[in-house]
Amino acid sequence: MRRLFSILLFLIIALASAGLSPHAAVSASPPTATGGEQALAIIVNQSNPVENFSIEELRKIFLGERSHWPNGRRITLVMLDETQPERKAVLRDIYSMSEKDFNNHFIQGVFTGAVFVSPKTLATPAEVRKFVFNVPGAIGYVRVSEVDPSVKVLRVDGRLPEDKDYRFRLAGRIGK
Amino acid sequence: MKFSVGQCANLVGRVFSYRIVFRLAALAAVFFLLQITTPPMAQAQVADGTPSDRQTIELLLQRIDRLEARVAQLESAKQPPPAAAPSQPSAAAAAPETVAQEAAPEHPEGERMDVSKTLMKIRGFGDVTFHGDNRHGDNTSFTLGQLNLFITSDISERFKFLGELVFEADSHNSFGAEFERYLLQYSRNDYFNVSIGRYHSAIGYYNTAYHHSTWLQTATGRPLLFEFEDRGGPLPVHNVGVSVTGLVPSGRLGLHYVAEVGNGRASLSPGSEPVQNVVDENNGKSFNLAFLVKPEAVRGLQAGFSAYHDGLKPAGLANVNETILAAHAVLVRPNFEWLNEALLIRHAVDGSRTFNTPGFYTQVSKRFASYRPYFRYQYINEPDAEPVFPQLGRREGPSVGLRFDPSESVAIKLQYDYTMQRHLPATNGLALQFGFTF
Repeated sequence: MRRLFSILLFLIIALASAGLSPHAAVSASPPTATGGEQALAIIVNQSNPVENFSIEELRKIFLGERSHWPNGRRITLVMLDETQPERKAVLRDIYSMSEKDFNNHFIQGVFTGAVFVSPKTLATPAEVRKFVFNVPGAIGYVRVSEVDPSVKVLRVDGRLPEDKDYRFRLAGRIGK
Repeated sequence: MKFSVGQCANLVGRVFSYRIVFRLAALAAVFFLLQITTPPMAQAQVADGTPSDRQTIELLLQRIDRLEARVAQLESAKQPPPAAAPSQPSAAAAAPETVAQEAAPEHPEGERMDVSKTLMKIRGFGDVTFHGDNRHGDNTSFTLGQLNLFITSDISERFKFLGELVFEADSHNSFGAEFERYLLQYSRNDYFNVSIGRYHSAIGYYNTAYHHSTWLQTATGRPLLFEFEDRGGPLPVHNVGVSVTGLVPSGRLGLHYVAEVGNGRASLSPGSEPVQNVVDENNGKSFNLAFLVKPEAVRGLQAGFSAYHDGLKPAGLANVNETILAAHAVLVRPNFEWLNEALLIRHAVDGSRTFNTPGFYTQVSKRFASYRPYFRYQYINEPDAEPVFPQLGRREGPSVGLRFDPSESVAIKLQYDYTMQRHLPATNGLALQFGFTF
């Protein structure tokens, strides 16, 4: 037993000397302000009857806690990939999670069966728009300048991206 | 009358020169070889090529028609879409979407089976632990944990398969494989989801929040109350049957329900496989009903209770009515978790006494960057003559540990356990675990 303790003590010291991991440092960094004050539009397929969501409802959808739209369609969440500032803004404002927490949330959610389908990840806003356009149950996000009439923009708490006190912006919230 | 190849060639040579004959022979040989080596599938494609080609041409023509219509409408619109008012697109701009949308598949995931690709996704989990304690007869050991292949498949928009195939070594160092979960899931909407197959019973919180992966768990293992049946756990952790789950319309309260009907646990003999995968030892079925709330007001909070009932028939004993009542309140956030659960397992032997086994655990942890120190206190008090599950007696004690995540997929945990037991001396245990996902 004493020998076991000494081996484990040595391992603890070795682990402690490794210090903070790089991904922890990244997750602790402040949100990127790339893109200035540009708003993020939450987009759905044009056939989706939903027009407005509260932030809490939106959060449940993005967390995978809701799997179907009111019209019965399965919700398919589409995320931009990790390099995109829009994704960082969504993780900050909707999920309140780091990239690692986001991954863990969906691994665990799919594992427990609580999340029916994990999000799709696409590289560019154009791909997100195209995906949302083609998939009736899709929901995603793009900068407001990337929006075109092929998709529908949702109101969040009754506000559209062009409204002054809209919540989701690349540089952070300006209204609460 | 027999002809050799040479004689035939001479005969044919009266009409054709040798050169031509050899060319024809070579071509015939190549044709023969092609006939032999072409796979049957390719031959079939050639054989039914005509209708297939016609179908392809028709599809292409339809697509050209749609594209032409779309180009014509885009040209007629000749205006960029108004970005400033995206939620109110003009009729002219909206028209092409209709055309293109018709071309888009209704369900991209497809209700029809696509035999050219697999829908299966696999994620693996595993762990290796170095541990030791001062219990008499125990040796320090490196232990291979469960190698868990978590398999999912989006069969269609509403159906999904979920399975956990676990490879695990027993106390005799022999490996075996078992499907720990094996479920066909149907999701009608948020209010009605059905799973059929082998599942983890919705008794309390831990059993459905964590399954067969230590990497997902904060500590090195499950609380004793929720330990697996084949490791001496007191609960019917696994069950085979039907589970229905969903939301109850309740606004910001976030009320959910779970209702389960299954074979229940085996009780005929202590040596039998505890999960009744194929044959139920009696006609009675187990029932479990659970309600839980996830209120919007407190993010990460979940509280609920469950009631489980089954009729057991242990050999040589009167029938036993098993009732398991559980309640939990947990707060789980990325940086903080606090789990609290209490259970009462009640075995009422017909015409005889009732055995009550109470138990609880509390677990708290907080994350600091890549480190997560944690503390757990657990308690279980099983009567000495408990008739159904293995003799656990009374056990209680704290566990203290530290989890360190050197990468997103690897967790290193160091845990100390102090366990007090009835009729036995207390034990000290130490474990170092390397858990991972791949």
